[in-house]
Amino acid sequence: MRLPLRWLREFLEIAASPTEIADRLTMAGLEVEAIENHAPAFAGVVVARVLTVERHPNADRLSLCEVDAGPIGRFRVVCGAPNVRAGMVSAYAQVGARLKAAGHGAVEQAGGFAPQLEAAVIRGVRSEGMLCSERELGLSAEHAGILDLSNGSEPGTDLAEYLQLADTVLDVTVMPNRGDCMSIFGLARELAALFGVRVRTLSRRRAAKARDGVGHLSIAVDIRDPDLCPRYAALAMERVRIGPSPLWLQRRLELCGMRAVNNVVDATNYVMLELGQPLHAFDLRRLAGPKIVVRRAGNDREMVTLDGIARTLVADDLLICDAERPVALAGVMGGQNSEVGETTDAVLLESAYFDPVAIARTSRRLGLRSEASARFERGIDRAVQVTALWRVAELIRKYAGGRLCGQVTDVDAKPAEPRTITLDVGRMEGLLGVRVPLPEVRRRLRAIGAQVASAPGNRLYVTVPSFRGDLSEMADLAEEVARLKGLAEVPATLPPGAGRVAVEREWQRSFRCASRDLMLGCGLTEVRTISLTAAAENERFGGLDRAAPVRLQNPLSAELGEMRRSLLGGLLQALRFNLNREASAFHAFEIGRVYGLVGDAALEAERLAALTYGDYVLGRIGAPPVRADFFTLKGIVERYFEGLGLDAAVRFEPLTANEVPYLHPGKAARIVLDGRSAGVIGELHPAEARRLELAYACALCEVDLSVLMTYESSPRRAIEPPPRFPSVGRDLALVVDRGLPADQVVRAVVEAGPAWLERVELFDVYEGEPMAVGKKSVGLACRYRARDRTLTDAEVNRAHEELIARVTTRLGAELRA
Amino acid sequence: MREKLEEIRRRALAELADYASTDRIEEVRVRVLGRQGELTAVMRGMREVPPEQRPEIGRLVNEIKVQVEARIEVLAAAAARAALEHALTQERVDVTLPGVRSSCGRFHPLTLAGERILDILVAMGFEIVDTPDIEDDFHNFAALNFPPGHPARDMQDTFFVDAGLLLRTHTSNGQIRVLERRRPPLAVVCPGNCFRRDELTVRSSPMFSQMDVFMVDEIGRVTMAHLKGVLIEFLRAFFGPDTRVRFRASFFPFTEPSAEVDIGCLLCGGAGCRVCKQTGWTEILGSGMIHPNVLRAVGHDPESYQGFAFGLGVERMAMLKLGVDDLRLFFENDHRFLNQFPATDEGVL
Repeated sequence: MRLPLRWLREFLEIAASPTEIADRLTMAGLEVEAIENHAPAFAGVVVARVLTVERHPNADRLSLCEVDAGPIGRFRVVCGAPNVRAGMVSAYAQVGARLKAAGHGAVEQAGGFAPQLEAAVIRGVRSEGMLCSERELGLSAEHAGILDLSNGSEPGTDLAEYLQLADTVLDVTVMPNRGDCMSIFGLARELAALFGVRVRTLSRRRAAKARDGVGHLSIAVDIRDPDLCPRYAALAMERVRIGPSPLWLQRRLELCGMRAVNNVVDATNYVMLELGQPLHAFDLRRLAGPKIVVRRAGNDREMVTLDGIARTLVADDLLICDAERPVALAGVMGGQNSEVGETTDAVLLESAYFDPVAIARTSRRLGLRSEASARFERGIDRAVQVTALWRVAELIRKYAGGRLCGQVTDVDAKPAEPRTITLDVGRMEGLLGVRVPLPEVRRRLRAIGAQVASAPGNRLYVTVPSFRGDLSEMADLAEEVARLKGLAEVPATLPPGAGRVAVEREWQRSFRCASRDLMLGCGLTEVRTISLTAAAENERFGGLDRAAPVRLQNPLSAELGEMRRSLLGGLLQALRFNLNREASAFHAFEIGRVYGLVGDAALEAERLAALTYGDYVLGRIGAPPVRADFFTLKGIVERYFEGLGLDAAVRFEPLTANEVPYLHPGKAARIVLDGRSAGVIGELHPAEARRLELAYACALCEVDLSVLMTYESSPRRAIEPPPRFPSVGRDLALVVDRGLPADQVVRAVVEAGPAWLERVELFDVYEGEPMAVGKKSVGLACRYRARDRTLTDAEVNRAHEELIARVTTRLGAELRA
Repeated sequence: MREKLEEIRRRALAELADYASTDRIEEVRVRVLGRQGELTAVMRGMREVPPEQRPEIGRLVNEIKVQVEARIEVLAAAAARAALEHALTQERVDVTLPGVRSSCGRFHPLTLAGERILDILVAMGFEIVDTPDIEDDFHNFAALNFPPGHPARDMQDTFFVDAGLLLRTHTSNGQIRVLERRRPPLAVVCPGNCFRRDELTVRSSPMFSQMDVFMVDEIGRVTMAHLKGVLIEFLRAFFGPDTRVRFRASFFPFTEPSAEVDIGCLLCGGAGCRVCKQTGWTEILGSGMIHPNVLRAVGHDPESYQGFAFGLGVERMAMLKLGVDDLRLFFENDHRFLNQFPATDEGVL
């Protein structure tokens, strides 16, 4: 809501500076976003009446005029405007005036006013000043003629003052609950409460003047749906002459962010800005008689609004109809069929209260947000309808020559009951944590327009004013009491029971922290990507088992059309982003959620994904770097599981062909934790790598953290003292089929050994001469150790021989010579 | 025989001069002490020595052997020392060359900020609860006192998904998720991602992270004064002990009274600058006393319980603390941005 302070001061005598006013509003919950200072683009220009117009003796296109500037005097000026005529009231720039906008003889100067206007001799005739166009005054681009002020302004009046050009405007953010502050009067009322002064109401006498010349037309109003329109008031006027509004009025509309249209529409808008009551003017002659029906759209399917667009209706839209057809979409926009235009000479004025939710629903559905709907949605004053009608009638009578055709028809189909809240003052203090003396509570509540009466106990009966529909219970009143003084009054204290709440062990958080620490220790940088993605990416990277992707119904773009099913797409995007920006290697991980839909239930799972690309370990100068591939990332993952104490539970199992289509079929594995699948790891499929224009292999993995987090409660591994007896080592090399995974060989050896075979480590894999084609040699180091004694060579040799015999049979392997 | 032995001694000791080379020393050792050496030969020829002279000759042989061995030991140690010294002069490396290294990982700044915030809140007695990103209307709006069609819903532009669900627009759904399952007293922080229909720009993002913090207890035990106390304590812990904090009345559907919280502008210190729009204050978070309708919606009697809640944006806190003014930097993951943060989460934010 834009608040011009000159307009405000018509309702409020207040000495405070604009900054003080803005600060008080801001602290009271009406944030002032900006303070704008508006200044006229001229000085020394006054209102003047043209007395005579004669032809310039030496020029056909110029006139010689005598102008009367009231107490300032009479002057002779040369004027070139085609519209100048005797009796006209216009803008007269005296000798000595300054005009900022470019014009006759006035040289534009950077950043300041032009030099003072001097008396000039034009074609042999002296001109004492000039008559000005709107452009010359910097009011608009209009330059077809001089300004026409023939609408009741006194000659000699300073023009800037008359047009109220110097003004300060506050841009106030009005929260959705404060519909009552969507008007100049409403903000005046609020400021009166904040500053403890009185607000001036519109004088009844002033409004009553519009009742002159009452005719006998009576308007019938039939409210069929009082739940959506509890109150509807109407008034008709005739002998209206459509034309422009006076400039000062246009100027006020502009300062409030609205455009001037004509004197009738402007009057309705003016009153809306002033009192917060949206009004609508129908062309009375285009209605089917003086009858208004307010009803739901029902079977009406379409109507054309005054912007010329055919709007599709739904049954619950509220319509304003005449005797035959819809003429307006209630509270949102008028109909084209009843629009006020240049030929209008009689109008029906509407002032109603519409249900906020109904208006919000319709305006949102149609994407039609107007100043009117913004007010109806927030809830307008339930009691101002008739006052607003009289006020607009007054303005139309004054500036459009209208005459009343009859009395106001006011149908209050569902009168609003005044709402009274019982305020338990002790309870309020318990909420705020501060004591406010009872008289002060009463004073503050009265300041916002409430009626306050004593009630038994430490209680008050508070009857809230008609314009504060947002106040319905104790907490609302507590806020008013706290707000009016500013929240600084509430002390800051720590809760007595801080620490009383048992802090549960934050396992999930510490698990995430541990995961991050381990990844960082492996040289990976943490990234955060947006969890919205394209359908194609979700298709590419698959997702939670059997879950469908979560599709956005109103996405910003197709690129952000679904919730991600995998973190890998985001990581690859980050890789590409960095390769495009001077990076040659990228090692990163992300911890985040992925999403899916099973039936009507949304699934969310937490994952960790990692990516490595390019040089991973830089060797010493002269030695080659270690470039990221399947095994560098596998090393990271192994280290991660070891760090978590889960190294004994994790296995890497080869994938079946095309099981994970985005990974290299020969360089990918499933990560299995105690027999449960916990993720995948592998190099990016060469076709994908080509699509992303990658120069090297890119290794990726994605781990399901929800599986890992289940290990929280499992008992920690027992801590043992270091062994007291020495170990004995024996190596062996087995020749096996090339396709047999090495970890199966290791497992077979472990199973074939005695209980005191402490560890089996693979140290070599060799293919080629002298082995047969299709065979490979696997070199293993076995370490034997007993807990309770030093082993003898003889018993180790015997055990090792037995192990070899068992494992060669088991695997069909041969001992390599 | 005696003369012969003296000649062996004289010659050996002469050859084992200080400057004797390692080769010469070895040569003398083999010639004199070796298995085929001169002293061995003398011992072998002992049969030809008259028996009465034998003990003396044997003693002399032993004396020469010990003497030559000692001499060789001294010379060998000196030679080894010299050889090592020589070798060391040859083995100097350029210590300014780079070491063998792998890349250094970094924490994302939102992690640094988020973990710092959680550290403070956990120390203040709040418990962390994770809540869903994909929500239903009840938990995101209706129970938080946004009735259908209420204009307050316009303040947030919501992403809707299939199955009648939506992406949460704030973490305040956490209040509902926790309060519908548990009874006060409660002190909870719900961190998480939120979504609104905004393009990714310098100042907006379709996804951002928030934390909803709330405390609920019996009437009078958690007041607005406590809200202020906790917030001032929290903001000073995060932004520094001299941080100025002020509370402005405001409106949120789910709190009553509501307060917007500002901190003194970190850039100008309150004097007024472009960043704070000359006000000296920066908006930091929204807060208030939980609306009675919220408690009712989850089955708690507002005549028995009350509480406070506040909601903060992690990006905003991080931006103010780090002096970063472009939101996109947090989601682009440019290595030139991320590499400026240290690889530790202690004492950074």
